[in-house]
Amino acid sequence: MIKPAAAFIALCVLASCQNAEELKSGQYFAEGYQLYTANCSNCHQPDGKGMSNLYPPLAGSKKLADRSGVACIIRNGMKGTILVNGKEFNRPMPANAKLTEIEIAEIVSYVSMKWGKDSLYTPITYVQNALQNCKPD
Amino acid sequence: MAYNSRFHLIHLFILTVLVAGFSACSDNERKLPIYGERDTVIKTVDGKEVTDTIYNTIPPFSFINQEGDTVSEKLVEGKIYITDFFFTTCPTICPVMKRQMIKVFNDIKGKPDVMILSHSIDPEHDTPQVLKKYAQDLGVEGPQWQFLTGEKEKIYEIGQKSYLSTAKEDKSAEGGYIHSGAFILVDKEKHVRGMYDGTTEEGTQKLIADIKTLQEEYNTK
Repeated sequence: MIKPAAAFIALCVLASCQNAEELKSGQYFAEGYQLYTANCSNCHQPDGKGMSNLYPPLAGSKKLADRSGVACIIRNGMKGTILVNGKEFNRPMPANAKLTEIEIAEIVSYVSMKWGKDSLYTPITYVQNALQNCKPD
Repeated sequence: MAYNSRFHLIHLFILTVLVAGFSACSDNERKLPIYGERDTVIKTVDGKEVTDTIYNTIPPFSFINQEGDTVSEKLVEGKIYITDFFFTTCPTICPVMKRQMIKVFNDIKGKPDVMILSHSIDPEHDTPQVLKKYAQDLGVEGPQWQFLTGEKEKIYEIGQKSYLSTAKEDKSAEGGYIHSGAFILVDKEKHVRGMYDGTTEEGTQKLIADIKTLQEEYNTK
């Protein structure tokens, strides 16, 4: 009785439940995690909680809802004061000219699935479009 | 059941004896090395030739701290201190080093004979005001952790020659400077007694343990 049920669930996960979108989200998440660890976590920390009053948290930040804005900040860095979770931060964030569009898409996917409300990945076309329309600093 | 628990008790006993034995051993032998080049001089004392070792010693210095006060080696007289090199706009290893140094700071907080000196290697940007804000944002208050700025050449010189650390300008490096991620432990005689990788948890924990070992050296003297 138990065995056929388990087999059915496994089949469901493999075949029907996990569609292409979810598979791709998993890939972007995994790649994004690596890139986040290498490029972002020094300051924003592996748990996304930031560091004291020096570097703002990503976890719980409303800024994550604007994925185009997040892509632009990753590419161009930012200056000036930013209000995150009720706290002011004003240290400059450096630009990341070396990151490619696909890498930025993977990082945006990771942070918005991990700490934002997204359950699916952010496609590269979305990021390309966003980067073309970044507001000047 | 009864056999089992007795068996465990015996095991526990053996383990305790072993641990006690090991710690007794290392207590006697625990002494940190002295780093850096050393010279020997032959002196004549009471008509006898005596060989004296001269160790690498941190020379007198004069820098400005986050309060805008000029501080010298007198600040650390009779104290153990930990030192490192950083700059406030550093995007790479400094945030990691400072996160780790906070752990050291929390461990030594309130101990009157231990201090931290963090030198900026970008003194043109890192004025006392900038350092003060940085310390505040880091959540550090009081004089036990000093953030120092001053003449660039002097900072690089003391870093490379005395603290055996790398600190210099390099326009090609990210952020414009290269520097090591080392935490350096200095004793009350101003000898370097330990170098640790301040970017790792392992290095940080080793430093915290070695500070206690060094304190013990003075307590048992």
